[in-house]
Amino acid sequence: MNMQNAPDIRELSYAEAIREAMDIALGSDERVVLMGEDIGVYGGAFQVTGDLIDKYGPDRVMDTPISELGGAGVAVGAAMTGLRPIFEFQFSDFATLAMEQIVNQAAKIRFMLGGAVSVPLVMRFPAGSGTGAAAQHSQSIEAWLGHVPGLKVIQPSTPEDAKGMLLAALEDPDPVMIFEHKILYKMRGPVPEGHYTIPIGKAAVRREGKDLTIVATSLMVHKALAAADDLAQNGIDAEVIDLRTIRPMDRDTVLASVRKTGRLICVYEGVKTLGVGAEISAMVAESDAFDYLDAPIFRLGGAESPIPYNPELEKAVVPQVPDILNAATELAQGRL
Amino acid sequence: MSDPNTPYAIRTYDAETLKDALRKMFLIRKFEEGAEDSYTRGLIHGTMHLSIGQEASAVGSCMSLSDADKITSTHRGHGHCVAKGADLGRMFAEFFGKEDGYCRGRGGSMHIADVEKGNLGANGIVGGGLPIAVGAALSAKRLNTGAVTVCFFGDGANNEGAFHEALNMAAVWKLPVVFVCENNRYGMSTSTEKSTAVKHIADRASAYNMPGTTVDGNDFSAVAEAVDTAVAHARAGNGPSLVENLTYRWRGHSKSDRNRYRTKEEISDWMARDPILHMSALLVEHKVMSEADVAALETETAQVIQDAIAFANASPAPTAAEATRFVYTDGEAA
Amino acid sequence: MPVEVIMPKVDMDMARGTVAAWHVEPGATVAKGDPLFDIETDKAAMEVEAQADGILHHPAPEGTEVAIGQPVAWLYAEGEEVGDAPAVSAPEAQPEPEEPAETTVSEPVSPPSPTENIRATPRARTLARDANIDLATLTGSGPRGRIQAEDVPQAREEVPATFTAQTGALHVMRSKGTGTPLVLIHGFASDSMSWKPLEAHLKNRALIRIDLPCHGKSPNMRVGSFADLVKTVRQTFDDLHLDAAHVIGHSLGGAVALALADTRPRSIASLTLIAPAGLGPDINEAALAGIARATKPESLAPWLKTLVHDESLINDGYARAAMKTRLDPHMRAAQAALAHAVFPDGTQAFDLKAALHRVSMPTRLIWGRSDKIIPWQHALTAPGPVALHLFEATGHLPQFERAEGIGKLLQSAL
Repeated sequence: MNMQNAPDIRELSYAEAIREAMDIALGSDERVVLMGEDIGVYGGAFQVTGDLIDKYGPDRVMDTPISELGGAGVAVGAAMTGLRPIFEFQFSDFATLAMEQIVNQAAKIRFMLGGAVSVPLVMRFPAGSGTGAAAQHSQSIEAWLGHVPGLKVIQPSTPEDAKGMLLAALEDPDPVMIFEHKILYKMRGPVPEGHYTIPIGKAAVRREGKDLTIVATSLMVHKALAAADDLAQNGIDAEVIDLRTIRPMDRDTVLASVRKTGRLICVYEGVKTLGVGAEISAMVAESDAFDYLDAPIFRLGGAESPIPYNPELEKAVVPQVPDILNAATELAQGRL
Repeated sequence: MSDPNTPYAIRTYDAETLKDALRKMFLIRKFEEGAEDSYTRGLIHGTMHLSIGQEASAVGSCMSLSDADKITSTHRGHGHCVAKGADLGRMFAEFFGKEDGYCRGRGGSMHIADVEKGNLGANGIVGGGLPIAVGAALSAKRLNTGAVTVCFFGDGANNEGAFHEALNMAAVWKLPVVFVCENNRYGMSTSTEKSTAVKHIADRASAYNMPGTTVDGNDFSAVAEAVDTAVAHARAGNGPSLVENLTYRWRGHSKSDRNRYRTKEEISDWMARDPILHMSALLVEHKVMSEADVAALETETAQVIQDAIAFANASPAPTAAEATRFVYTDGEAA
Repeated sequence: MPVEVIMPKVDMDMARGTVAAWHVEPGATVAKGDPLFDIETDKAAMEVEAQADGILHHPAPEGTEVAIGQPVAWLYAEGEEVGDAPAVSAPEAQPEPEEPAETTVSEPVSPPSPTENIRATPRARTLARDANIDLATLTGSGPRGRIQAEDVPQAREEVPATFTAQTGALHVMRSKGTGTPLVLIHGFASDSMSWKPLEAHLKNRALIRIDLPCHGKSPNMRVGSFADLVKTVRQTFDDLHLDAAHVIGHSLGGAVALALADTRPRSIASLTLIAPAGLGPDINEAALAGIARATKPESLAPWLKTLVHDESLINDGYARAAMKTRLDPHMRAAQAALAHAVFPDGTQAFDLKAALHRVSMPTRLIWGRSDKIIPWQHALTAPGPVALHLFEATGHLPQFERAEGIGKLLQSAL
């Protein structure tokens, strides 16, 4: 054991990693402010901001009224005029109240003004199902925002990425929307100390393989990896790509993998139709990688349904490990 | 030092400042007439929302602002832009969709901004600029710049949720912002009587624990007095205010308006209350300018407009290859 | 009835909690609302109050992790008899269902009509186009006959076409027994293990099995021609120093056996050729190529099925076992090169009809009348002294499909 590496293997939870990133940002840049509902003494609905208010005070860790539209707009205006706000939606579902400011203002101001001003805004969206919070607190709406030119939309899947991509988002001159799956908040993993960034727009190959490519996002990356382990037992060697950013999408990594394996499954929690997987599929179908496909592309996405409350139903409407396993096996064996 | 019956503007500003204010009002009027004429000639691509008749509100509201102070504007924002010191040639160039336009031809009439002069931009969404103005005020307070933000909005916006959320937050956080409602009586065709539960939009201020004032928006001096007071209040750290300027747009909502919701009599009554004539008369009465000076000023501003249009016509158009430029900062020199 | 004290759910996504500490001893009396025990979740520690009055019994040991809703102790009434801990009444929260959620991929299945375009994947089309192959000449192994990359012969170029040529002696496996030994030479893409079914009917016979070059445990040699191949096997045969042997060869191994008999007539007592190569030009090249390049049981199985008459013999287990012997890509590449040398352009490049006429030891030909690899009619070129055994309803592997019959035949003849 090389003790010099010991600091590198320090483990944090995903939520702690985000908090550490915000702590570093608040500590090193006076312009950074956190805004959101109950992020002060409450510590945020998911305890992501935690006790940062004790360290930086209520002027920099700002509880907003329950005014998603207004709050988002204040963050936009502040970002245009010198601050670096990190705005937390309590649940990503509540961002639907703020769509006007996100879509019409944050995303478009730089363009509408011919590049005269940028909107260096970071927004955080606790997202996804699995908590029994039902239809209005469990959605995955990242594809909605992924459809808007002017925004960058990321979905870190590990504590290390959560910290590094948030710090990268803060350095980005344009609005970056971070979708954080709520189930990931407690996931622990190695997180480097201090300041580092992980680039936006770069996918990660989490597992190399030659028989098929699984492109997954957020929590689904972990399900895909679990399925890949099972597939390996059956002699199927799956490559798992963590997309990490859905806008701008890392075309090169996905296409290179498909050229290698000739088979593609997209796994994502958002509603399947018109979702992230549709874009990945089309990207492949429109590229030279199409000529390397040796089977139809397969998508595993959320059901055409709101998220139900009952835990069995809740599981049934989003892809699970056995679904990935089945689809991958069928695909690898040339049965799809 | 002066007679308290003397209007606020005469008491407060020197002659040059007053002449410049009148000049800007002429420029707004002639800019919009020029734009309308260009539209008629097919030189302008989309629609536009003209503020002819509202010039006193725009200019009077910006009297105590420096370039460091911010404004947010509306879809009817040409006047605010000129009042904040914009270059007419670049404004016309934007109308014509040219590279020399304020938005390099990407924004058009509804998105003209002049960030260097503190104009954060017109906005195509009713109420869209209200929270943004609060954000700009938040920056000023956190970064301690001393800047004040004037947030222009129309009577239509007062029924948007964004209005209420923005006023509440500005008050809760005691931010240096002045909300200036240009109440021209109609949100497109729907009158404030039909749309708004309170008689005066300034009455909304009490709900957010801030001063609220309603003034004759066609009276330059009245507007300047109300907004200057609110700006001073904000600059002193006392938080936001709401000022309602009662005014009227002579033209329709946009170029598609057939004026079915108001009478010719109503329009001509308001045209008789022309804010430019009112301001000219004030300056002549108080011997700031002569009638001849006013006439000369009008002639001079007409020439400015001719030159601005010529500049815009000569400006290059953007190329289609750059249609998606400016979506992201990547690859652009900031 | 004692009152159950359960592990409460105190966090939205909590599934289990740990009993951290008890505030009262077993047997002690608590009142409703008294602090009873502490729990720890991965988020927080929390104190739990007694939900009823009673005397504490059967507390879960501190440090125990308990699923939410499960009992951690019982509260008994004054004077109530305390026996063993009561049975758990509430079912534990169900874990994820074992049954995978249905992945429906049903599409209306319509029989392909002759006018329909050929069904092929983009990759298969690309490969066929590059290799100038007409898709219509190929058979698809995918759903509804879809041609996939592995169905295009040139796809073998995709697997590592190179291998490091090895040298050394061929692998020989002997079994002790009585009488003149039987020398067994397997066919292309097979190995010595393939004789197993037949061996069951050759009890007590001395057996010598030779792995051909690039097969089984023999080295991956560079074999330039059929003559090269024969030379290598002959060297091995000579090294055995046998006074006499019954030589049995199958398919390519049959051709090798015949060529060997032609040059070593004195030490070969008899010759048994099972579906041998070398007696005609035709050979099912697609099947040989398909077997040679298959990298998984799923792609191997369809080709294995062409070897037999009764396809049900080739089940998943058989294909998996067969594939297990073919996992080494270098071996597959070496076999592909060997096939290219001896069957260029899908043709048997050697002609042993004359040799069959020359050999004088007792010789028999065994063939299945349903052989889809080498037509059984090649047997008809045999001269009069050669015995013919043609099996009905049998494919290219009579020694597998008709092991018992052939075993009896050999036991009585040899």
